[in-house]
Formats: sequence, structure tokens, C-alpha cells
Amino acid sequence: MKPVSIKKIGTITDGPLSPNEINDLVPLPPPYDRVEEQPGWKKLTKEQEESYACDLDGVTGLSLPKPKDAAEEKRVVEQFVSGLKKLLSSENNWTFLQPLTLTIDYCARCQTCSGACPVYESSGGNEIYRPTYRSEVFRRLVKKYTKTGGELFAKLRLEDIDLNWTTISRLYELSYRCTMCRRCAQACPMGLDNALVTHELRKLFSQELGWAPRELHEKGTVQQLAVGSSTGMKPAVVKENVSFLDEDMSEELGIKIETPWDVAGADVLLIHNAGEILAWPENPAAFAIILNAAGIKWTLSSEAPAYDGVNYGLFYDDFQLARIVTRHMEAAKRLGVKKVIMGECGHQHKAMMTIADRILTGDLNIPRESSITFLEDIVASGRLTLDPARNDFPVTLHDPCNIVRNLGIVEPQRRIIRKICPRFREMTPHGVDNYCCGGGSGMALMSQNNFKDWRVSVSGRKKFRQILDAFADCPGPEVKKYICAPCSNCKGCLLYTSDAADE
Amino acid sequence: MPQIELNGAMYDVDEDGFLQEPDKWNEAVANAFAALEGVSALTDDHWKVINYLRTYFKENGIAPMVRKLTKDTGVQLKYMYELFPQGPANSACKWAGLPKPTGCV
Repeated sequence: MKPVSIKKIGTITDGPLSPNEINDLVPLPPPYDRVEEQPGWKKLTKEQEESYACDLDGVTGLSLPKPKDAAEEKRVVEQFVSGLKKLLSSENNWTFLQPLTLTIDYCARCQTCSGACPVYESSGGNEIYRPTYRSEVFRRLVKKYTKTGGELFAKLRLEDIDLNWTTISRLYELSYRCTMCRRCAQACPMGLDNALVTHELRKLFSQELGWAPRELHEKGTVQQLAVGSSTGMKPAVVKENVSFLDEDMSEELGIKIETPWDVAGADVLLIHNAGEILAWPENPAAFAIILNAAGIKWTLSSEAPAYDGVNYGLFYDDFQLARIVTRHMEAAKRLGVKKVIMGECGHQHKAMMTIADRILTGDLNIPRESSITFLEDIVASGRLTLDPARNDFPVTLHDPCNIVRNLGIVEPQRRIIRKICPRFREMTPHGVDNYCCGGGSGMALMSQNNFKDWRVSVSGRKKFRQILDAFADCPGPEVKKYICAPCSNCKGCLLYTSDAADE
Repeated sequence: MPQIELNGAMYDVDEDGFLQEPDKWNEAVANAFAALEGVSALTDDHWKVINYLRTYFKENGIAPMVRKLTKDTGVQLKYMYELFPQGPANSACKWAGLPKPTGCV
């Protein structure tokens, strides 16, 4: 790959700033080793190239329209600078100002983070995917536009970056080439967080310019706040769906399955990712069977949006995050439950368990627990009769970044699996050193233009390789294999990657 | 916004070819989508699924769960893939003019 200087991000180039080349991608083992058989990514059409900003890497996941005239470009630049200033002020960024400032001030440029980044590595070392590339552009712009004498010093230090439409639109796309898995943050000897820079950039774009992927904003948080769920399920629909599943699964399994709704004073309010109900219905049914068998006094809520634990605000907008989590907790408060259990959704865990601690005050700060530790307690209590012989097939475990690396829930799920899966094998590496599914930070939902192709080939590549390696002793279809991935986002992403591999 | 030409008329679609305006759907659109996937004539079973999907969507604003679709129409999943080559979501819903599912599905 060619080196790309930091300054070049603001320079109009002939074609994309740093295109991906299929021959540079990290090799995969057989039968996926032939480059010519790999899916690659669709070339953008002439129409897409003419309409959208797509001169970063030849991929566009955001369909950002090009500016109509110089006045619009000028307005965008002014808004960007205003947003930068807000990110660096305590009045406007009380959520993340301190870690952001540390990350800006203390980078030693050692590049340890680049070695930890699956996107950078899988791409074969595309310079612009280095965690430090994005951060260094951000750092220089912060210094130039928010510090006294910044513009002069930028010139003296030879660090000047032109802030124009090209810079800003490329940064926008670049903030969606990082899954915020935070492997880089874990590796940084200074404790800095380059994934936070990604997050803060996305936040600037959404909160200041009104730019966000429609899968996360219009179809995501806006729909969730309006209807109750990012899937579009209204309260009546979710109740009807779950009641259908109760009946259908009871018939199929010969066990009476009953899901309690809106039980005031229940010990536990379980909030699933609503995608589980639509796309992975065995999961909510399994929860119902287990919680009933263990004698838990639990309930689901049919109050919008407390039947959908997702909170895409975590990925791009603090305001949307706060609106959604507040309504989740208001519903829990009205029911008077003792505790909220978060379903199998990684970002729900992070949003509700940690970030929300700074938002929920007083009696809204209801105790929250991960379903993983909650299930482990049930399994460890001996209240369930388990039959590992039913799971006599190879099983591996995917560690969702938000649950494992970011929250430190590493062993509980393994203690469960060891009890029920005799042929469990770990991926390498795993636990807090795991690799992202490739679709973290909402990128599993994004599907515009050729973005999904990029995800399969680049951001999902490391995990795909890990899964192949974990089953290297039984690769063929004659052995049924199971990937346990306790997060809807990860499951969706892994399924799409494996479908692409089948093709 | 990409567009697709079906029976001589232009329709806005998303990147996966789903109609953006479900109200513009008509039976000829379903036939044209089917032809694009190599199905030249829609049978009664096709229409049973397509009509079920449209009615459900009109009432509920989203597509039904696959389990519900198969149970209510009596079309089992294996047969569903014979009728609709890319399955209930990517073919049946598309031919019926429903938008692509949203959220973590």
C-alpha cells in the first residue's frame, strides 16, 4: 500500500485518496484463498460517483450528496469548526471531554494501536485505516481551530490541513470505517482511545451537521422513539408476535411457554433487542423457558420503547442515546421492577450499563444486569436440569466487543458453555483480545452502495478467519458446527459474512 | 437514489432493489420482479404469499416473522425457497413491494 500523508486528506485527488486493492487484503486459508474467487466490492456506478462523496477509498456507506454551491461548502466548514469547539468544551461535551482531551494531548505516535486494529491489518495496511490517521487529522484540526494562535502554529509546524468539503466528507466516511471495537484502546501503552475519536467525529457530524447513516438515524433512533422499535414493531405487534411464538414453540417443543407482559412489581424486567424476536425467535423463547423453569418473577414491557433494548444513539449521537435510555428506564420505573436485565445485545449493554450511569439520576437509576451473568447464576444454582449430550457438536464462542472487552464479562458465558457443550473450543485470540464481528458500532446495519462488500472483505475478515481456524479440524458441511454469539448485531454480521462466503 | 425499470415505468429502489414507495406497487410490478429472478409465471401459491405479505404489511407497518408467514400461509420454508429463489425476505417481500426490514434483523 502507498503511504498517504495526513495533509493529503484535504487535497482533491485523481480518484479516491487511498483505494483498497483486493490483492493487498490479508490472505484467507483454503478454500477461500483464491483472490479471483473472493467477492471484492462492487465498483461504484457513474451515477453514484457523480452524486455522492466517495473519494476516500472507493467505498461509500453514507451517500452524502455533494454540496450544491460554494455557499453550502462554506456553511459546512463553519458548522464543522463550531462542532469541534463544542466537542472540546465542558458545557457541551460533559460525556467524553476528559478521555478525548487525553487522547488528543498524549499520543506518543508509537503505532502499537495500528498493530491491534483488525480493519488496518485486514486491508493489508491501508494508511487511512490506521487508528492514528483519523486521530491525527482530528488532533491537527482541533489544534488549528480551537487553540489560540492555532492557525499560525499549524503553518509553522508544517502541520496545516486544509479544512474544506473534501476533508470533511472524507472524515465523515472515515468515521464509518472503524467498528469502535476498542482493541486499539486496549493496546495503547498510554491508555488513549482512538475509537473515541471515531465516536466524537460521528457525534459532531450528527449533532452539528445533521449527518448520520439513515440505518442508524431515520430507520434507527428516530423510528424507535416514534414507534417503539427500530424494527418498526409497534406495541401491539410485538405482543402479538411474542404470543404467536409462545404458541408455536410450545407446539413444536411440547413445553408450555408463556411470556409474562407488564407485570407490576416483577423482580426482573427483561429487555430484548427486538431484532431477536423477528429474526432469532428461538432466543426469546429460550429465555422464557429458562426464566420460567428457574422460578424467576420476570416480565417484558409492552410500553414503547421498553421492548426494544437497542440504542443506536450510542454509535453516533449523545442526545438520541439519552432520549432512548431515559424512556427505557421510565418504563421500568412505572412497572416498579427491582432490576432490568439486558438481553443479548452488546451495545445495549454498554449504553444502558455504563454510559447511562451519567444520565440516569435518582429513581431512574434502576439496577441493571447483563443477561449473561444473570443466566450464569441460574445455571450455577442447579435449578435447571441440563443435558450436554444434546449438544454433541463442535461449538465456538464469539466475544461481542461491548460485552467482553468493554465490560469485562469474560468468564460467565464460558462457565455456562463448559457445562452444556462438551465439544467447545476457543477461537484464537479470545476474551478481551477477541476480534470484532466486523459490524460493530452499527456497521452491521449499514448497507448502502458497496458498503456491505467492504464489510465482508475488510472489517469482517479477521473474524471470518478466526472462525475458519477454530473449525480447521472439521471444515466441511458434513459436520454441523455452532457459533455462539450472544449479540444480535454480531449474529447478523456473521450470518451475512457466511452467506457471502457460501456464494 | 437508484431506480429500476419495471414494465417501462421507473421506480425508486434501495441498494438491494426494494421499492421505496410501497404504494406504487401493482401486480405487474410483482411479475416484473419475479422475471428478474428467473421466475416467468407467478402461480397461485406465489400470490397467496404475496397477498398475505401485503395485507400484513398494511395492517402492521412491517413484514411478518418468517415463522408466522409459513404457518399462516401453509407454505413451508423449503417450498418458499422454491417459489421465491432468494427466500421470504429477499424475494417474497421484495416482489410484494415491502421495504427492506430495519433494525438488528
